[in-house]
Parts: sequence; C-alpha cells; structure tokens
Amino acid sequence: MTTSSLTRRRFTAGLAGTALLTALTACGGSGDDTADGASDQGGAGGWTYTDGRGVTLELDAMPTRIAAFADYALVLLSYGITPVAVFGRTDVASDPRFAEHDLSDVAIVGNAYGEIDLEALATAAPELIITGIYPTDREGTLDTEGVLYAFADLEQQGQIEKIAPVAAVVVGGAGLEVIEALVELSEAVGADPAAIASAKTGFETARDALTAACEARPEIELTRLYADASGIYLVKTADEPVTQMYAEFGVRLTTLVTDGDFYWDIYSWENAADMMTGDVLLLSDEGFQQADMEAQPTFADDPALVAGQVVVWPNGVMSYAYQAAQMTALAETITTAQDVVPG
Amino acid sequence: MTSDAPPRTPSRTAPPPTPAVGGPPTAGQALSRTGVAALVVLGAVAVSLLLGSNAIGPGAVLERLLHPALDEGAIVWGSRVPRTVLGLLVGAALGIAGAVMQGQTRNPLADPGIFGVSAGASLAVVLGVYVAGVTSVLGILWMSFLGAVVASVAVFAIAALGRSLSSPVPLAIAGTAVTALLTAITSFLVLTDQSTLAAYRIWVVGSLSGRTLEGIGPAIVMALAGLVLAAANIRSLDMLALGGELAQGLGENILRARLVGLGAITLLTASAVALSGPIGFIGLTAPHIARAMVGAGHGRLLPAAGLVGAGVLLLSDVIGRLIGGTGEVSVGVVLTVLGGIVFVMIVRRSRMAAL
Repeated sequence: MTTSSLTRRRFTAGLAGTALLTALTACGGSGDDTADGASDQGGAGGWTYTDGRGVTLELDAMPTRIAAFADYALVLLSYGITPVAVFGRTDVASDPRFAEHDLSDVAIVGNAYGEIDLEALATAAPELIITGIYPTDREGTLDTEGVLYAFADLEQQGQIEKIAPVAAVVVGGAGLEVIEALVELSEAVGADPAAIASAKTGFETARDALTAACEARPEIELTRLYADASGIYLVKTADEPVTQMYAEFGVRLTTLVTDGDFYWDIYSWENAADMMTGDVLLLSDEGFQQADMEAQPTFADDPALVAGQVVVWPNGVMSYAYQAAQMTALAETITTAQDVVPG
Repeated sequence: MTSDAPPRTPSRTAPPPTPAVGGPPTAGQALSRTGVAALVVLGAVAVSLLLGSNAIGPGAVLERLLHPALDEGAIVWGSRVPRTVLGLLVGAALGIAGAVMQGQTRNPLADPGIFGVSAGASLAVVLGVYVAGVTSVLGILWMSFLGAVVASVAVFAIAALGRSLSSPVPLAIAGTAVTALLTAITSFLVLTDQSTLAAYRIWVVGSLSGRTLEGIGPAIVMALAGLVLAAANIRSLDMLALGGELAQGLGENILRARLVGLGAITLLTASAVALSGPIGFIGLTAPHIARAMVGAGHGRLLPAAGLVGAGVLLLSDVIGRLIGGTGEVSVGVVLTVLGGIVFVMIVRRSRMAAL
C-alpha cells in the first residue's frame, strides 16, 4: 500500500524538503559522481526528479540529452522531445509506432530485450536514461533490488547507471496514472505544457467518443491476448494499465478470472475454448498471428477468428496523442464489429 | 608391529570396488528389458491421449477417438493425437540419433547438436524466413532439413580435409567450430531483424504443443531413411567403440563408417527438429538410460534408445500438461528438470563408463 501511494506522488517539483530527505537514497541509487556534483552545486540551479521507485535523481541542470526505452521514447517524441538514443525490445527502425517520427538524429542502441550497445549509448552522451519497472503483483509491489525493465541484468544496469542516471517509470496500476507520470517526467525534461494540454484535450475527445461507442454497442466484447505454441495468454483487464484504462472508459474486455495469477491467465490450446467469449480479438503483434491462430484446430472455430475480427494490437504507448489515436481506432472497431458471440 | 596393526579407518586411497551388478546384461535380459521399454512407450501413448490440461474423462476421450465428429473443440484430434504422434517420432529419432552420435564420437556428453546439425537447421530456417519469406510449416521443414545437411557435410569435409577420421576429435572440433559460427550468424540476423522473424521465433522454442501434423509425411520419410542408415551403421559403431585405430586395423572402412553414421544423425535430427523445433536433453539422456538397460552393443542399444526417447518425451509432455493449471509447462522445461535428475542418477551408476 505504501508503495502505491509513493508512486502516485512521484514527482516532487520544488519540494526542497523531500529532495533533502531522499538525497541519501539517491546516492545509493545512482552511486556515482553525478549525485556528488549535484550536491556541490546545490540550491536553485539544480534539477531533481523522483522516479517511480522513489529514487531521487539530481543533476546540475535540466537534462536535454535523453536516452529512453522505445515505449517511453515514443511518449517523449509525442510531446515534442527528441531523445538522443533509443533502445527497443524489437527492431526500432521497422517498429510501426515510430513511423510518424523522424529518427535520423536518434541513435538506435538496442533492438532486442536486454541487448543494449553500451558503447553506442555512451557515445550518444545522454544526461538521463529512461526505462520502466513493472510491479510484481496487483498490489503494486516493486522489486527495487531487481533489474529494471529492458535491461539484461544488474551488471548491465550498473554499467548503464555509470553512463547517466536512470529514471524508472512504473508501468502498473491505473493507465491514467501511468500517462500522468510520463507527462510529469516529460515536463521535467522540458516538454511544453501547452502542447501537452492540447494533446490532453484530444485525448478527452477520443475518450468520450469511445465511451459513446461502447454505450451504443454494449454487446461487443474485446479480448486482449498474446498466443504462441504453448497456448493463449489472456491479459487480465485490471492488471494491465492500458486495458484497465479502456475498461474504465466503458470498453467491455474479456475478464474471466480477476484473482489468482497476476497480469495474465494462460490457456493451453486444449483449454482455448474456455476463453472464446470475445467478439473481437486484440492480438499482440508478437507471437502467433491470425494465420497461426487459424492453424490451431482447437481455436479454429473461435467466433471472432471465424468472422475475421482480429485486430493486431501493439504494446500501448502511454501518451495522450497515441492513446487518442488508439481509442479512435478502438471506437471504430466496436462500432463496426459483428456481435458474433451472443450475450 | 605397526604394519600388522589393522587400520582404524577404512583406507581412503584405494578405489572403491566397481559395483559388480552382474556385468553387462545377457541377450535375454536385454530383450526382455527392450520389451518392457516398448510396453512403457505404449503406456505413454495411452496416457498422452487420455490426460491433458483439459480434464475430459477417459471415456469421453475414447468416444471422441472413435467418433471424430463428436470431438467438440478438436481437443482429442486437434491437440492430443498430433502431439502424441509428434512425441513418438521426435523422441525416437532424437534418442537413436543421440546413441549413434555418442558411439561415433565415443563421447558420453555428445548430443545430436554436436556436429552442427541443430545450428545449421536454425540458420537455414532464419535465412528461409528472412530471405525467401518462408512461413509455412512445410517450408520450414525443408529449410531446417537443408540446413542440417549442409552443416553436417561442412563439418565432415573440414574434419576429413585435416586429419585421419579414425579419431573422433577432429569431427567434434569441426562440429563445435561450425556450430559456433552458424549460431553467431543466426544471432546476428535475429538481432538485426526482429519483426520479420516471427515464424523463426515460433519454431525455435521446441514444443510438441501448438504444432500441426502438416509436413509429417516428408519428415517420416526422412526419419525412416535415417533409421536405415543407423541400422547399417550398427556393426561399425561396435567396431568404433574399440577405438578408431583398432577398428581400422580390424578392417573397418572408417570413411564409410563415419559417412553412414553422419547421414543417420543428420536425417534423424533434421526430421525431429523440423517438426518440433530444437528439443534438448533427449538425445543426451535417452542413450544413457538405454545403455544401462541393454548394454553398450549397438544392435540392442539403438532400438532401446529410440523407445526410451519416445517414452521419456511423451511422459515429460504429459507431466507438463498436468502441472500448469489451465496452461501448461513446456516440455523443454520438464525435460531439463527431469533429464537433469535422471542424468545424475545414471552418472552415479558406473555403467556409463561402459561406453
């Protein structure tokens, strides 16, 4: 419980008292000369930021050279900040989510999970590195001793922390809180609040349209899933920030079990029939795709699959603009979908 | 005086006597034990059909087996039958390939991957997906077969160019080098192009679940050809067990023996790997279990290794289905845990030395 209240108030702009209090933990967290430099300067000119873990980062001035994991780099880009380096879990150059952004001045320093080219990252000379941390349970417990998301192991994390201090964004709990945390972080590194406010207006318009679409078609159920040879991974609506947010806005998402395993329930191919309650499949862009699903005899008669109602759904980017576009697409899907599963 | 005094503690310097567990099994023992292994495989087939992560009763399974039209959700005919057939074929092929490999190299730690077969198959699948856009099961089958053949021919050529083939060492070194090179190229391609390699990513996680029987025809033909070569290699394997030089002295044609053995390993492994993706531990442990049962003579060892491979793979798959709740634990994970335990037990029995 304390952890989640901590994550809610993670940005402590101007709270000198908090900064002083957490400076000790910051030394433990980043543990290099950056923290020392900041304390030498002290006072008004310095930049501090407390990340999702509660670790306070201190720099002499606001960092302008940012390196980030792809999902958060996309958030920065959508708020007008171009990072100097990006590392992704998949190939960044061909990632469709980057299609609308110009990456010519961005160093791509990683294209697979944990495979980060440290030399290239150091050459890009970032002043701040942004990655994520996922809770380990639905209470929001953070394993702050463990390795952060996107890093291979603690050894690599230590090397990355020597290049620049690392800020970790909590990707868990309510989707809106994740969006807001990233807004705070983006503003802390210089994003224009007016541009963000205008993006938020667009987001709210799309949200209202989505809610209206759901109210018009309450019978349409969407299933967010990933599949591979071992079976189907059904995302638990309340455990994943994006689905949590959509559900909050009125989207009916397949929710069969709310307790038990965190984040998703796994259905072997033999048990696939147990989760075939949705009218539309929101299928992860990784793992099995539509043709692979159709080749599975135990899933071939899924009504949504038979009706061809399969939408490839990549990992969500938690920015107002990106989510506005996603929700507009979702509203369109819900409005046009056939109700193939009665009830 | 002191020399006559009995030692207070048992001497630690003398090696413990080798446990004389009746010596190598007799022909009758070997035959009956092979029969037991065959019965275990039959039992494993029955269990594999009857038990799964979906708890439909045995009666319902039998009914669905007899009347495919009643097989609602295709659980029996769409999931259990294919994975049982795959388990039999893949387990037997890997078990026999492992036995031939260990005999050829006289290395108890050799598995079918040591000659670059698996690495070659992986690279060819990646190239097929990457260059030619292959995504069909059949396409992947042919690519992995082609890669396995090319890799083993390369390994053989490198070893044959260098030194005499009577020692298994050049083959093992060439195999290790080629495996390292091919694996490096595969990793490079996989890391540089994440998005287009989805078909490879699905294949490379060895599994009996989620696979279809598409392409099983060519794979069976391949496996049968490998089986014929393995049978033809039995006498040579027994000779090679005496050491390459001695076998040569006894009139064994080493080049022919190596070629036939390599052909058997390549065909058997390629057919297995093409169907299920790479599955570890079977090729390594099945021959050891079989050797403990029927002795080191390859005439008895190869059939026993095939039966043990099929039985162990099927039973491991069934265990994985039963311990994952509504999901399943992958057969690779079960094999690693189970195979590790069995391997330690086998190693603790000194029979392994009788390779």
